[in-house]
Amino acid sequence: MFYTIIEQVVNGIVSGSVYAIVAVGMTMVFGVLRAINFAHGEYYMLGTFGAWFAIEYFDLPYPVAVVIGVVATAVIAVVVGNFVMQRIVGAPAEAGVLATLGVALILQNTVILVFGGSYKFFSGGYIEPVTLFGFTLAEQRILIIIVSLIVFVGLELMVTYSRMGKAMRAVSQNIECCAVVGIDVRHIALWTFILGAGLAALSGVLTAPVNVSVYGGMGELITFKTLPIIIMGGLGNVRGTFVAAMILGIAESLVATYVGLQFRDTVGFATLMLVLMWRPHGLFSAQARF
Amino acid sequence: MTEIVRDQTMAPAELPVAATGRDFRVPFGLALVALACVAPLFLGNYPLHAIIIALIFLLPAHGLNLLLGYTGLLSLAQAAFFGIGAYTSALLAVHFGTPFYLNFLAAGLVTGAIAAPLGIPALRLRATSFVMCTLGFVIIGQAIAKNWISLTRGDMGLAGIPKPYFALGPASFTVSGTVAFYYLTLVIAALATLAVYLIVRSPAGRNMIAIRENETLAESVGIPTWHYKLVVFMISAAFAGLGGSLYAHYLTVVSPLTFQMYYSTTMLIIVLGGGAGTISGVIFGSLLFVGLTEALRVAPELRMIAYGFFLLGLVFWFPSGFAPLIGRFWSFLEKRK
Amino acid sequence: MTIELSRRGFCMGTALIGLQAVSSSAFARTEDGTVKLGLVAPMSGPNARYGAFSLRGAQMAAKEINGAGGIGGRKINVLAGDSQGTPVEGVSATRRLIDQDQVDFIIGDVSSSVTLAMQPVVEDAGVLLLNAASSNPKITYKAGVGGFKWTYRNYPTDENRALIVLQYAAEKKGFTKYAVLSVDSDYGRAAIEFTKKYLPRFKSQILTEDYYKEGEVDFRSVLSKIRDSGAQAIIMYGNADSTPIVGRQMMEVGIAGKIPLIGNAEFNTEKTIKAAPKALEGAIEAAAWLPAYESEKSKAFVDKFTAEFREAPNNHAYVHWETTHLLAKAIEQAQSIDREKVRTALSKIHYASAVGEVTFDDHNQARLPMILLEIENGKPAIKGAHSAEIDYPK
Repeated sequence: MFYTIIEQVVNGIVSGSVYAIVAVGMTMVFGVLRAINFAHGEYYMLGTFGAWFAIEYFDLPYPVAVVIGVVATAVIAVVVGNFVMQRIVGAPAEAGVLATLGVALILQNTVILVFGGSYKFFSGGYIEPVTLFGFTLAEQRILIIIVSLIVFVGLELMVTYSRMGKAMRAVSQNIECCAVVGIDVRHIALWTFILGAGLAALSGVLTAPVNVSVYGGMGELITFKTLPIIIMGGLGNVRGTFVAAMILGIAESLVATYVGLQFRDTVGFATLMLVLMWRPHGLFSAQARF
Repeated sequence: MTEIVRDQTMAPAELPVAATGRDFRVPFGLALVALACVAPLFLGNYPLHAIIIALIFLLPAHGLNLLLGYTGLLSLAQAAFFGIGAYTSALLAVHFGTPFYLNFLAAGLVTGAIAAPLGIPALRLRATSFVMCTLGFVIIGQAIAKNWISLTRGDMGLAGIPKPYFALGPASFTVSGTVAFYYLTLVIAALATLAVYLIVRSPAGRNMIAIRENETLAESVGIPTWHYKLVVFMISAAFAGLGGSLYAHYLTVVSPLTFQMYYSTTMLIIVLGGGAGTISGVIFGSLLFVGLTEALRVAPELRMIAYGFFLLGLVFWFPSGFAPLIGRFWSFLEKRK
Repeated sequence: MTIELSRRGFCMGTALIGLQAVSSSAFARTEDGTVKLGLVAPMSGPNARYGAFSLRGAQMAAKEINGAGGIGGRKINVLAGDSQGTPVEGVSATRRLIDQDQVDFIIGDVSSSVTLAMQPVVEDAGVLLLNAASSNPKITYKAGVGGFKWTYRNYPTDENRALIVLQYAAEKKGFTKYAVLSVDSDYGRAAIEFTKKYLPRFKSQILTEDYYKEGEVDFRSVLSKIRDSGAQAIIMYGNADSTPIVGRQMMEVGIAGKIPLIGNAEFNTEKTIKAAPKALEGAIEAAAWLPAYESEKSKAFVDKFTAEFREAPNNHAYVHWETTHLLAKAIEQAQSIDREKVRTALSKIHYASAVGEVTFDDHNQARLPMILLEIENGKPAIKGAHSAEIDYPK
């Protein structure tokens, strides 16, 4: 009984790691752009498709495919960032919602148009199960957990010590003053966005081997999972978001086991709403940006 | 603690009123109404169907317009209330065989009532959290529709909703066929538009605009902003519920698919595309939107992509929707006179 | 300046598209006697795959018919409409096909909830609706003498599917304890509802019940739960696309080969079996058709389809191909494309399909068998076919 709960918690940490990598990117984008990016999940999808394409058509090994997936997504992010995201800076909230929804529709359906609507099979990755402390996990899942920790630590370091990171913090705190200090807000916004999209893509390619299915609509589900996470974690708060992602992953896993799989997707928003009723500012203070 | 509303909204300034006494809008409006009345004479069932859908969506769009365009609150919850209204009507019709006007009114009342306990905690939130909370209503709504099988029959849905019928004493009358339904919808849409017009032109309407422009200032001059926001939220929900009721009777089938974010974004596009804060804009937006989705059916693969580009175009080139264009059209006519 | 041009271009573009919607010149009724067949299926959305296969099946049949000289000299033309798997889109697509494209016959949809919404529309318009792929029994409870006389269904229903699967599992395998893991849609839920009806008959019980959404990718929690529950088999009525994922994760969790899958979710296709052979071994499925079906006509169909589309056909491709031919036969027998005459011909038809003779009962439901198969050594082995007379509610 106890063992089962631990096992489900471990499952939860795995899915939490997946969400975490995507969510921290999304929350950073919000911190800088003040825009909820409804298209964020699409970059997860694009990364997966990029890697799938590399493996399927060019027979490239998995690690190379990972790089290709992320790079391809970053390129698309540059285009979207230049034409869409930069213009959202300073615009009212509805603009961001509609524009990113538009982007999501375009990205999703172009992929479906080009590759067809059927589910593709992702062959590649390290799917051999290993047994650790009595739990059986595909190797890939351990890789996901490790990468999410690296990403988290890396972001913390970058944001605290690097010039870019400090500029990001400045933009998220006070846009007007940035101009005074000589920070190019649009430039920072663009690069934050590319970083966020790249992280989402990374999460996608890492998860593809165990999720197996690759299809154009897969990004939408991710968007709906990460939205509650970033609100609960505090918009713009990387640490809070990481923790919130883990909590959601574990909660989902426990609900799936003890209540029913069909309720899993509501856990995110249901928890969000309960949290908002109790603590309208989110679980962790949104005042603590980054 | 309420937050100061952002200093820039997508709602346009008031439409220019004709400089001289000659106002083309009234005769034009009347002509449009007359045209709508005789439309079935020259339009086939398929275009009528498209117009019916546009008019059905007009109701929740009016609600959202009151909430977003006039009071300045962005909400994605319309789909949730649309669904609640649809299911309320469907359950009454299927289980009790009640006449249409009863189902219709019940849908509006139930939805408005449910909006109260949802709105009270939600409206305390800051703008972004409020948006997410409203989205949450839609998702939870769908989960309830799917899993409360004893009430809603879950995914199997409620099918065979009877055609709307009216019973007045001994006389009864069933709305059967597309043309009859078109007129029913037209009448309801006209009444709804009138209701919105009355609300907007009243002192309450001016207060709503005051809240949109600067909430703190509005409060300081004595407007009970909290009450206004809650009441408008409930009215907006009721409109969505009424739309849902019509929808249920038209399609004769309701399923949890009625609760999808796609409908919320549809209504958002209608309001913002037509012109938030204007009534004619919303009507125009509704027709334009449905016309566009049906027209793009010729190339289904490209349909959603074109839709996405349309959204982008809307945001960057027409942030106030098409309403200013309409306004310029009137001024243009004015100048020519 | 560029902004102004872009704005104008945007306006023009929108106006042009809008105008196109109103004009209907392109599809005015042609008097050359072509048979216009509308096909409503999910061409986009989560079930796009089913729509694609359905369309190909119908198109291949049309090509064969036209190649053989048409139906009494008339060519047949298939016009596709996208239902996106939702009732309102299905109704819109149907309306457009009837009103704008002026089709006389419609084949559609795949999802039962869409078909249910289409029924009153075609009834009002007096257009023949031939359903080829929806399994909810309600569709024909309400057809024929049940009300909608313009709806026909050429596909077996979920009613006897649940029965024969359970019967085989209980009698031939001795299972009595099951875990449910089905798709959370009208299909999956209805199938389990029917299964529960027959549980007492076989002294069986359901230990855990879970439904997965279309597009679900993480089954580990549920599978661990099933592993520890003592269930002997997993009842799965679901999507073809999710089955490989479930199979893979069954291997991860350690139940592959120990707890078989029973029900229906395209267990029998090569691709699925290849994805997780150990998990699919011993799977039991009841399907309307499968590529391995042993009949000359069926094999010929499979070969031809695979050659033309470079991909093996699935269930939906077959049923739409077959139903298009069925319609052609009815038109031929009626010797006219008058809808009423074709309908009468359909009611009385004896059609030689690839799985046997097809006739319609008084609820316009085709009498079709469900084929039971088991995966042995990585290949589907047919264990029998089962027909049942349907118990219509009074």
